[in-house]
Amino acid sequence: MISEKIPTSVDKFKAISSDNISVQESDDPGDRIVTLNMGPSHPATHGVLRLVLSIDGEVITEVVPHIGYLHTGMEKLGEYMSYHQFIPITDRMDYLAPMLMNLGYILGVEKLLGITDEIPARAQWLRVLYSELMRISSHLIWLGTSAIDLGAMSPIFYALQDREQIMNIFEETCGARLTSTYFRIGGLREDIPDTVIPMIEKFLKDFAIRLDEYQNLVTGNPILINRLKGIGCLSKETALSYCCSGPVLRASGVNYDVRKARPYSGYEKFKFNIPVYQEGDSYARFLVRMDEMRESATIVRQAIDAIPAGPVKIDRTDIILPDKHRTQGNMEELINHFILSCRGFNAPVGEVFSTIESSKGEFGVYLVSTGGEKPYRLRVHSPSFLNLSVLPAISRGSLIADIVAIIGSLDIVLGEIDR
Amino acid sequence: MGLIDFSKLKSETRTFAGKPVNVTIGPRFNKMGVPAKVVFSLKSLMEGMWLTLSYLLSPSTVVTKEYPENRLTLKFPERYRATLRLTNDENGFFKCTGCKMCERACPNLSIKVITRKGPVSDKMELDRYIWRQDSCTFCNSCVQVCPFKALNMTHDFENAVYDRRLLIYCLNRYAGPAAGILAAQDEETRKKMMEPRQPYGGNVPMNGYQLPYLKALPGKPADPAQGSNK
Ligand code: SF4
Ligand code: SF4
Repeated sequence: MISEKIPTSVDKFKAISSDNISVQESDDPGDRIVTLNMGPSHPATHGVLRLVLSIDGEVITEVVPHIGYLHTGMEKLGEYMSYHQFIPITDRMDYLAPMLMNLGYILGVEKLLGITDEIPARAQWLRVLYSELMRISSHLIWLGTSAIDLGAMSPIFYALQDREQIMNIFEETCGARLTSTYFRIGGLREDIPDTVIPMIEKFLKDFAIRLDEYQNLVTGNPILINRLKGIGCLSKETALSYCCSGPVLRASGVNYDVRKARPYSGYEKFKFNIPVYQEGDSYARFLVRMDEMRESATIVRQAIDAIPAGPVKIDRTDIILPDKHRTQGNMEELINHFILSCRGFNAPVGEVFSTIESSKGEFGVYLVSTGGEKPYRLRVHSPSFLNLSVLPAISRGSLIADIVAIIGSLDIVLGEIDR
Repeated sequence: MGLIDFSKLKSETRTFAGKPVNVTIGPRFNKMGVPAKVVFSLKSLMEGMWLTLSYLLSPSTVVTKEYPENRLTLKFPERYRATLRLTNDENGFFKCTGCKMCERACPNLSIKVITRKGPVSDKMELDRYIWRQDSCTFCNSCVQVCPFKALNMTHDFENAVYDRRLLIYCLNRYAGPAAGILAAQDEETRKKMMEPRQPYGGNVPMNGYQLPYLKALPGKPADPAQGSNK
């Protein structure tokens, strides 16, 4: 009797490999390259970024970022909405710094309307105050998440705790933590409540202590220095040719900050330094942001010490909704109110480009108006997009583990890249 | 940070798998000898540990909020933006006149104001005020533009439901004219003018449409989110 064994997959494999199929090292060196997909949903890509890595062993030879997974068509949406209606949508671009996105957009529209100089001093001052708080909050999230990417667990808890105080300040001011929609074309939505100044004071007091703690916990940590130093080196020339901006550019030794180069919203009245580092590696980018938080805190300090009195809205009821009590007593203002709410204001014909320094870099808005209440074309110049474009250039030759550190140090937000 | 000595970047071409790749190289953190490195690493490790320990030891720094347990004592900022409501006057009548300004101002069409010709007054009045919470962005534009202060945003934020259709509400509890007109009437006429409306009654779920595979919801499901509005 022949006992026939049912062949298992191992037997099959043995049968095949004992045949004349022999596994040979390929002569073509290109065959050693393996393509690895990282993302689109990967905790270290900070959103829905997909990277196609070509690796030779552990070394990266090519990176191709694939973007567009978060595309929401915001630029196009802006062409179908009145100028005021688009403000809530801008919150969703860089969702870690929504007030800065609001500011970038409204400054563009104000430039188009030619009312940049008429904005009341108090409104401008508060815009600076909230922009800087927003910048600190955005950098805190960066600090926490990039530390987590490098394996440090505790910094994010401290960072979120500090950020929570800022979020509470925003909640007190405008009723929402992230989707603030606080700045308006021609001023602010409403004045700040009295309760918010003590909250900012308390935050500044706590944050000064915290900054020193971060110095001990993160900045001086040898593991972190080992992971970041010499990784993702970006030379000055490359940074400029890729049109990088913000901390990425300043870490490569270029002293360029829109707040100093082309001051907007009254930044020229504040004293602050622009941290610049020459090394261009991930650690330099890290240090730039850490120093920037310190500088932002001093701007907030200066801002709350001398808030000018006065209105927070421009005196033009055809551009911004006036306070409710004014509308109800005055026929002309009521008519303006109806027109403004139903149709929006008519912008003059023209095109403008205006930029601000957002927490990620130079954020710009290009508006083309052919008259009417909607822009003909709205284009967003997004700093994260340009900073990400430099990724292939700086990560060739580094290890797979390093690319996580590099993405963390570039500080990208996918909502703004894909918008 | 005096221990680290930065030097210039250098650029070179390395060969990976037969292909030349341009690589930029910076200084690594290896300028120190091993004993110095060990001392430095241990020192900063202890510093970090001490920091976390000091937070553990001082309970005054605890920031955790016991959310579902502290529900009754939750404090909201005055301007907090959550569920949209029609404001009522002291008699419980809404102030909305059905002018549809909020509908036009809403950036994402979350509001639909349906008006009707009043059976008694023969004037335009509110029939249904439909609010799609599922698409609302809580931007507050509708509240800002309402010329009659007929809208406000309450602090109810716990709106989770199991069916998305349940997020489409009819905000008014009766169809009829605004508070000012109602207050001037006697009891009898007032009753004739007001017609009851349910949060989910009528065509409200699915914004008034019934899809071939999805029926409009029946009647009035029990919904605690509706409790705060009269
Ligand atoms: S809060 Fe904004 S999105 Fe929501 S209904 Fe009002 S206008 Fe529309
Ligand atoms: S809520 Fe206000 S804006 Fe909207 S229809 Fe009623 S009265 Fe008009």
